[in-house]
Formats: sequence, C-alpha cells, structure tokens
Amino acid sequence: MDPFGNFINGTVTLFSDPLGILIFFGGVVGGMLFGAIPGVSMLTLAAILLPFTAHLSAEHGIMLFSVIYCTGVYGGAITAILFNIPGAPENAPTAFDGYPMTRNGQAGKAVGAAVMCSAIGGTVSAVIMMAATAPIANWAISAFGPPEIFALVFFGLAVAATVGARTLWKGWLSILLGLMIAVVGMDPVGGIERYDFDMPYLLAGIHFIPTILGFFAVSEIFVQAERKATGVYEAPKLSVNFPSVAELIAHKFAVVRSIVIGFFCGILPGIGATLAAFMGYNEAVRWSKDRKAFGTGKMEGVISSETANNAATGAAMIPLLALGLPGGALTAMMVGVFQMHDMEPGPLVFLNSPDLVWVVFAAMFFANLSILLVGFLETKTIINLLRIPFQFLAPLILLLATVGAYAVRGLVIDVVVMFIAGVAGFFLRRSGYSVAGIVLGLILGKIGEQTFAQAMQMLHFEWTGFFNRPIAALLIVAALLTVAGSIYSAFFRKDRQ
Amino acid sequence: MGKLRLGHICEAVFWLALAAFLYIESFEFDRGIEIYKFGATGWPRALLLLVAVAAIGQFLFQFVAGDKATSGTVGAATDDGAEEAARQSGHSHFRWYFSTFCLLILPFLYMRAHDLVGMFLELDKEGIHSVKLIAAPVLLFVYLLLARGNHVGAILTLPLFFAALLEDLGFYSMAPLFIVGVTLLMGERRPQWIALTAALIMGALLFTFVSLLYVGLPTGNISPFYDLSHWIVTMIQ
Repeated sequence: MDPFGNFINGTVTLFSDPLGILIFFGGVVGGMLFGAIPGVSMLTLAAILLPFTAHLSAEHGIMLFSVIYCTGVYGGAITAILFNIPGAPENAPTAFDGYPMTRNGQAGKAVGAAVMCSAIGGTVSAVIMMAATAPIANWAISAFGPPEIFALVFFGLAVAATVGARTLWKGWLSILLGLMIAVVGMDPVGGIERYDFDMPYLLAGIHFIPTILGFFAVSEIFVQAERKATGVYEAPKLSVNFPSVAELIAHKFAVVRSIVIGFFCGILPGIGATLAAFMGYNEAVRWSKDRKAFGTGKMEGVISSETANNAATGAAMIPLLALGLPGGALTAMMVGVFQMHDMEPGPLVFLNSPDLVWVVFAAMFFANLSILLVGFLETKTIINLLRIPFQFLAPLILLLATVGAYAVRGLVIDVVVMFIAGVAGFFLRRSGYSVAGIVLGLILGKIGEQTFAQAMQMLHFEWTGFFNRPIAALLIVAALLTVAGSIYSAFFRKDRQ
Repeated sequence: MGKLRLGHICEAVFWLALAAFLYIESFEFDRGIEIYKFGATGWPRALLLLVAVAAIGQFLFQFVAGDKATSGTVGAATDDGAEEAARQSGHSHFRWYFSTFCLLILPFLYMRAHDLVGMFLELDKEGIHSVKLIAAPVLLFVYLLLARGNHVGAILTLPLFFAALLEDLGFYSMAPLFIVGVTLLMGERRPQWIALTAALIMGALLFTFVSLLYVGLPTGNISPFYDLSHWIVTMIQ
C-alpha cells in the first residue's frame, strides 16, 4: 500500500482504540509538562515510564515514547526561554535568544514562536518521514559509515565551539571538558576501565542525565541565587503576547532552512536533534546581516533552533526503525521498549509489524499538530510560573532535579554528581565557559570515540582514508575551515566585544 | 604582563594542571588492544593535548586582549547573567574562593567521615552509623558558622549537604529541612510562608512521584530515619 493509505490505516487504528487515545493524549500532555517543568525533562518522564511499558502492548509502548519525544522536545523550549534551563540538550540553543527575550519582557513572543515553529518543523518532518523512510534509510546505509559519522561529530563540535562561550578558546575548553567526562568508564574498543579511581560507580561512566540537570538546572539556580543574595536579582518580565502571523512569515526562510538542517541531522544515527538545533542556530547567525543581535533576544534564534530540533524528531525515527540505531537518549529508551517485548528494531519491523510502524508515524504526526493547540493553552498556564517568587520556586526546582537524577538509576550518587556538576557549572559560567558545550561534548564523546576507532580500523589506520570518502572529506574540510575561520576572527578581527 | 590578571594565570594553571594530572593517571590504563593500535589511552591523550593547546591559546589571547569576547563566538555565556552576576557580587577575591572551598568540602567530609574515623578505630555497621549521626550535626554546625560570612558559598553547599545526607537519612526526612534551608537562604523570613512552601512542595512531590508513579525515593539506612521513611511510604501508597 502507498504511504498515504498506510497513514490513513494507522490513524484509524490509533483513534479507534480507547486505550490508544488515552495513551496518546497522556503522552502529549506528559511530554509537554515534563519538558516544561524546570528541573525535569522528557527523559525523566521516559525513564520513569520505561518499566511500566512492559504492561502495555509494543504498539502502545513505542507510540507513547514517540509522542513524548515530539512534545517533550517542544516542552523543553519553554524552560529554556523562561528560566534559561533547557529541558533537553536540543533546547540549549533556544535559550541563547529565548532567555534574553524573557528578560526583555518578550517571553510570550518567544514561547509563541517556539510553539509555531516546533509544530511546523515536527509536522513537516513527520510527513517527510512517512514518505521517504525507505529510500533515505537505504541511502544512509550505503553512504554513512563510521568515517562519515565521526566526520559529522567533528564538524558538529567545531560549530558548537563557536557558540555559547566568551571566547573561542573557552568554547573549545568547554567541549573538551565534556569529551573528557565522556572518557570516564569503559573504553569502547577493548572494555578497559579508564579514570575510575577504584570507584565502582565510575566504571559505568558518568550518566548524562544528572550531568545535564546539574550543568543547566542547578547552576542556573545558583546564578540566580547569587544575584538574589547580592540584591541584583530581577524577576523575569511577564508577557503573554504571542507573535503575529506577519512576524512569523517574515522568518519563512529561517524556518525552511532549519527544517532541512534538522531533518538531515536527525536522520543520522547518534547525532539527532541536539546537533540539529546547534546547526540550525549557527546557520541563522551565519546567514544574518545582524549577527551581533544574536544572543541578545532575537526571535530568529528561537525560530531556527526550535524548528530544527523538532524537524529532527521525525527523522530520528528512520535510523531507529530502519537500522535499529538510536539517534539519542529517548530513542535509545525506545530500543529498551522493543526489547521488553522481545522485538528488535530494524528492517524486520517493517515486514513483521507494519501496523506498529504506521500507528507510530500517525501518532507522531498528530502529536506535532497538537503542539499548536495544547501548546498555546498549556503555555499560558506555564508562563504564570514566573509569578511565583524565586525563593519558593528554587527549592521546588532543586527537589524536582533531585528526583529526576535519582529516578534514572536509583542511585544517590547520581544526585551528588548532579550537584557537583551544578557547582562546577556555576563557576564555569561566571568565567565565560559554555555549559551547553560541555553537555554536547559529553553526549557526542562516546559516539565520537567509537566511530573514530571503527573508522581507523576500516581505513587500516591511514588518516588519508578519510579524504578518499567524499562525504567524510567534505565534512572534515568544513570543520577545519570552521576552526580556522574562528581562530582568524579571534585574533585578527577588530570587532571584539 | 600585557592585560593579564591573576585570575587568568590561575585559569591557565588549572587547565594545564588538570591535563597533566589526567595524563599521568592515563598510565593506569595504558594497555594495548590487539585490534586497535591507539589503545585505550590514544583518545584521552589526544584530548588532553588539545586541552593544553586551548588553555595556552586562551592564555595568549588574554595576554593580548584581556577579558574581551572573540567576535567569532555567539555571546550566550556573556549574556546569560552569570558573568554579570559575578561582577556585581564582587565575589572574585581569594578570600571568598577560599571560604567557599572550605564550605564545599564539608559534605565530602561527611561522606568520608567513617573512613577518617576508621583509620583510628575499627568500626562495624553500627559504629559507622554512630559516626555518621555524630558527624552530621557537627559538620552542620561548622557549616552554619562558616555560612555567616559567605552567603553564596552557603547556597552552593546546602544542596551538596542534602545529597550527602540522602543515602543515610533519606529523602523523606531531609527534603522538608532542605526546603526550609533554601527558602531561608533565598531571603524569605516569614515563618508561615516557609511552612506553607515546605508543605506544598512535599505534598506535590510525594503525591506525584510516590503515590502516582511509584518512584522509590531514598529511604535512608539509619534508624529512626529509615523507619520514618517507611512509615511515610506505607501511609502514602
């Protein structure tokens, strides 16, 4: 059957099942809420729900996670905009301009832009996903081996180093710190323990959820607490004025560009929405005539980041379902749901469980559409969180973060790690380092090392082998040019701030 | 000295010392892997070399340009309020850093208290619990003394103290005290508002996570805190 017919079948199956409808709406609201509550994220909700999916059918379990993924990526933008706390790493670039907009009294406009662009990016991505899963998966299988994935990781890190820190060098130091944190634990080739300091906890590596919570949520509380303690704290200015249609139409090129970037980043295994958001944002800066306005509250920054990260959600399902390769933390948890039902994600799913695939595709399409409706209604409620005085909000955020860090593995040491990351983030941020860069390094570190090792083995340890593969060569040259360009502008351009 | 400040030198020393320490530590796992000639140390050592290069680059840049931002970066960190808050607070002198370090070390002293006492006395399980029950109030008293002169340091340390106590005393006993502590440190002085905040936050958390989602929060392992936690969990579920 053609994709459209399959989509209709999937939609009918989804909405003719009362339990399916309940799970769908539960996922929509839950994903948005957990994405939008400071200190927790969609990953927290997914981690909490993972054991319970054993009691659901595989169809319902995967559908629930895919809906949480779509709406959670959007929900994380709300905390990024209102509190400078990205709900997930893919929302980090949203905070670059979203939070300054809040401080300028334009919280409503920033959130409205995020609602519209998340819905557009996600819905278009879902449509392309349905139409093009098979051909794109085939292309990715043949075109993207370890050298290309390593080259893409390198390119992503080179781009990220230029974003978020006070200087290029601090950008690189932030990313290298993240990469070094990712080194802790077993090495990906020989399973040799590294930097475990004879502590059993460190053998499994430092988990990224407590680290993300610490660097973003906890360090933000500390920064605001310092402002409050020294009497310079200003509550964010409240507004619920959403952007006009004309304002959004004015950014149509940014939306289209970010959809393309988001989709192609999302499709690549292990890269996902985080790189999509960073690249979407960075391209917006690069194409803009008013580069200096970015980082000070420019709506195009929010639009580019949020369109790109939601455009990656649909695309991220392609490597998961077609190849069995998760694109990020939440899709990795989906692999867990498959395994709990004695299934393996991969090409056989399309043959053995076409109903499951199309119910999930239909659910993702409608979840992205529902961001428009539920997003606007829910956001007006969530913006009112800003009315709560900070002294009452701070303990709530810290305790939610505590529960979130603890719930992942049931280890108190994860809570300790989170607060250590929070203190480290506080000192690093006040010195001009980028916590988003650290987290990106942490997340891409493992896959970077693994693909590098695989690539070198494939290429018989010949470095020049990268340049015999057109896509890898293109990405490495682009990364080197990005590094060279940023070093040149760091030392030789006169327009330093 | 160009435009260098003492802070810039400390920053460079920190990164270079970290790189050197981790490089030396890498000899602990310097074992070959048959199928991979770079071994387990190749990747981390390459990263450490880059850390050293970036730290020296940063140092040279600060020598030339001081605290200026480079034009190639998008100024998020420069504009997210953290640096501005640091500048306005005046917390950049050695005394403040030293006092904050002394505060931050207290939770770790609690976590290792039984090891420190164990160097002189043989401790069984009961003995370890007794040491922790004595160490907690003593270190909290020291915390309160040091916190009087360093408000921000106290705010940074309190969550770490809370996390350190979670394993032994449990979430259910410690969370209400933590809420009260954070609210007080944030400047709230009205007792009825503090009590109401603690009750509302605890009620919402316990209802959502314990009653609805059956998330097992830390119950502690020292009596009577452990018994109290179990009693609360039984009541809620």
